[in-house]
Amino acid sequence: MAELTNASDRRRLVALLSPAYLWLLVAVFLPLSAMLFFSFLTDLPQDTPDWGFTLGNYARFLSNPTYGTLLWKSVTLGLTVTLACILIGYPCALVLARTIKGRARETLFLLVILPFWSNSLVRIFSWAIVLRGNGVLERFLELFVPFDLRLNLMFTTTAVVIGLVHSYLPYVILTSYLALQAIDDDIIEAARSMGASRLTILRRLLLPLSMPGLMAGAVLVFVPVVGSFMEPRILGGRVGTYYGTVIEDQFVAVYNWPLGAALSFILLAVVLLILALASPILRKANT
Amino acid sequence: MKTSLLAHAGRVWLALILFFLYAPILVMAAMSLNASPFYQLPFKFTTEWYEEMAGNEQIIAAAIRSVLIACVTTVIATALGTCASVALFRYDFKGKRLLQVLLFPPIAIPWLITGTAMLIFFFFIGIGRGTPAVIVGHVALALPYVIVTVTARLSSFDIALEEAARSLGADSWTVLRRVTLPWISPGIVAGGLFAFAVSFDQFVVSYFLSEPGDSTLPVMIYTAIRKGFTPEINAISTIIITLSMGIMFLATRKAKFGGEH
Amino acid sequence: MSLVDVQNVTKKFGHTTALDNVSITFDNGGFFGLLGPSGSGKTTLLRTIAGFYYPESGSILIGDRNVEKIPVEKRDIGMMFQSYALFPNMSVADNVGFGLRVRKVPAVEEKRRINEALELVQLQALADRRPSQLSGGQRQRVALARAIVTNPKVLLLDEPLSALDKSLRVDMQIELKRIQREVGITTIFVTHDQEEALTLSDRIGILKAGRIIQAGTPREVYDRPVDAFAAGFLGEANWLPQQLLDGLTLPGEKQSHRFAVRPEMLTMSDAAVDGRNSVRGKLVQRVFAGALATCLIEVKGEQWKLIARDRDLPDFAGEGDVWLNWAPEDTIRVPA
Repeated sequence: MAELTNASDRRRLVALLSPAYLWLLVAVFLPLSAMLFFSFLTDLPQDTPDWGFTLGNYARFLSNPTYGTLLWKSVTLGLTVTLACILIGYPCALVLARTIKGRARETLFLLVILPFWSNSLVRIFSWAIVLRGNGVLERFLELFVPFDLRLNLMFTTTAVVIGLVHSYLPYVILTSYLALQAIDDDIIEAARSMGASRLTILRRLLLPLSMPGLMAGAVLVFVPVVGSFMEPRILGGRVGTYYGTVIEDQFVAVYNWPLGAALSFILLAVVLLILALASPILRKANT
Repeated sequence: MKTSLLAHAGRVWLALILFFLYAPILVMAAMSLNASPFYQLPFKFTTEWYEEMAGNEQIIAAAIRSVLIACVTTVIATALGTCASVALFRYDFKGKRLLQVLLFPPIAIPWLITGTAMLIFFFFIGIGRGTPAVIVGHVALALPYVIVTVTARLSSFDIALEEAARSLGADSWTVLRRVTLPWISPGIVAGGLFAFAVSFDQFVVSYFLSEPGDSTLPVMIYTAIRKGFTPEINAISTIIITLSMGIMFLATRKAKFGGEH
Repeated sequence: MSLVDVQNVTKKFGHTTALDNVSITFDNGGFFGLLGPSGSGKTTLLRTIAGFYYPESGSILIGDRNVEKIPVEKRDIGMMFQSYALFPNMSVADNVGFGLRVRKVPAVEEKRRINEALELVQLQALADRRPSQLSGGQRQRVALARAIVTNPKVLLLDEPLSALDKSLRVDMQIELKRIQREVGITTIFVTHDQEEALTLSDRIGILKAGRIIQAGTPREVYDRPVDAFAAGFLGEANWLPQQLLDGLTLPGEKQSHRFAVRPEMLTMSDAAVDGRNSVRGKLVQRVFAGALATCLIEVKGEQWKLIARDRDLPDFAGEGDVWLNWAPEDTIRVPA
């Protein structure tokens, strides 16, 4: 790697880097800062000439318990979905990384993560079709049970959780798989030579060694789920009011942008707090 | 005995998960070919919904807009991202670590926050809503993916190749064109495919930034779903998911197996 | 006549000084080996001559041109890399022709010179292969052909043979020497392998901690090392314990000097030999290794080593007291 000894190298470095980072500055970092600024305004400067500064938007969050309740509801949803993803996804990653070998493993792994890269909105929509009353799922299950089934899953919290797990499950599988696959086979064989049972190997070796990957996956699921709004809207119907949908409303229905900015910023603070708490683990997962 | 039982259970679990992941998509695809507009069974084959979709000017216009936005995003994000990756790979400087960390906010912060923040800021500086704003947003979201993919490819690049070319008298432009770019091109192609997929599938940011009546395909679908399901939406959704899975399949192949010697 | 002249060159990386006021001259047409332990600055010196690093101070002359501020691509050098750095996306012929093409050599001449270079390294038959289809030794030849095809002023080799296994390495040493003679190009190479340095070089420079501590022909450096480090680094040295010095015939003043003998200068017997220096020791181990045998002998607490043809060694019944003898003029004397 070259060191920056002369001016022409430094110029080239700046020329190569600045377009990408200026773009990120304008499109991500300045907007995030602007949002903080706007969250302290009474009105939008472009709409009303006599705008002023206020703490009112944050005061509304504190004074109206609905916002707090909804934020908690969103956090609970995040925890539920994350837990479900871990319980379903980790064993799957374990099977992929430790028992299946060669080309089959590569193909299966690709199959598992492929849906993750496809359109999430469309995938949620496909669940809406499956879960509809008297829909495909109920007809399918009636093949196995002798009576008429009425699950009425559509427009329930369960439907929202199913859709979100479907959306984010591949994250947990991906990160856990990468961590599990990196574990040296010799370590496992050494443990077996010392007489360790499968359960002991899982509990004392595989789980601790893959913990950074698993935690990284958990954070990557939790964060977007707390801020989800499209999934609850489509699958949750009337019960689908969450913190995210309230923010959405401020921008597309109620047009109270300063309040929306304040609510967004509170969400951002929660997210950053979680990322900060998880960052030692995430950093370990990176190396 | 116990071993094989466990292994079998594991395989069954994996199969169930694949079923869970793909079944709804297959059901949706099947329903797009089912005659009943209310998804009633038994199944009766028809291509009626695809024909109707093809005749729906709104859907076609949104589809064309989505593809155009994705193409523009791909070109810009790939160009800027490749330059940045080369710089991050080739030079050591103070703050390099920070620049690498700065790639994560666009990925890690929920798009709801990023999208609404962009909306506020773009109105404030006068870009407002519309296709240019959508492109600015999409490029920002795609850039980290391009940089990460190209950097991964570069990390297997032997810097001695560049040194060898220079020792043979090649100027930096020749080195880039004849030695570095041929090596990283699979990474660039994969990064470009990622960028295309990120833009083409992007809903949240497009939703906040696109002009009503001038929206991208996912935004149009969302609006349509909220009014009530129609089989046409089913048909276009099936096409979208086939397309985006196909692109990602290519991208992962390229990123992983491309250019191996 | 000197071709490459390095004068008072200092190169720092952050706070560490990699080259500390180095001055050394490389003669035209010579084969010059830079030898030293890792971190001694030998690779830094090579890369500074190549132009990958610019020195903080000092001057570098290649031919009649001051190059210390000129970038690599304008210095007209040929360099062979440790990993060979063959371009994986080009055929053998295109690899070799790369330097000609950037110099805009006409196509006909380019083809002729590529052929000549490949002929020199005996690889004409493989011109259309990709580097990935070649063996380690073949890659090394391609890298060499590529480095010399442009007729550079100086050829720089960075650990040229370290990636090859031992038997191939010996063949390639001979081959490399032949090609260098045939082309007559001034060559500077870096190695940490003392045997390689002795085999290939007309002259050797030994580096330690960013300084050149000794330069000369391999024989000069081997027979008359300037200090204990040089004596121990190039070849092996058996150090004489201080309490034995009095009874021996030693070259020069004893005061504040140390003395050593090379293992192959020693003979072993069951009694002291007249006219030679003799010391008593205890034979600890004798290792048979085909043509040669190595004996480990304990001399007043020091571990000594003797190397000789196995058939020249007397048979001792197992371990026991022996005498080690050598000619007084074979004693090495260095400042303590």
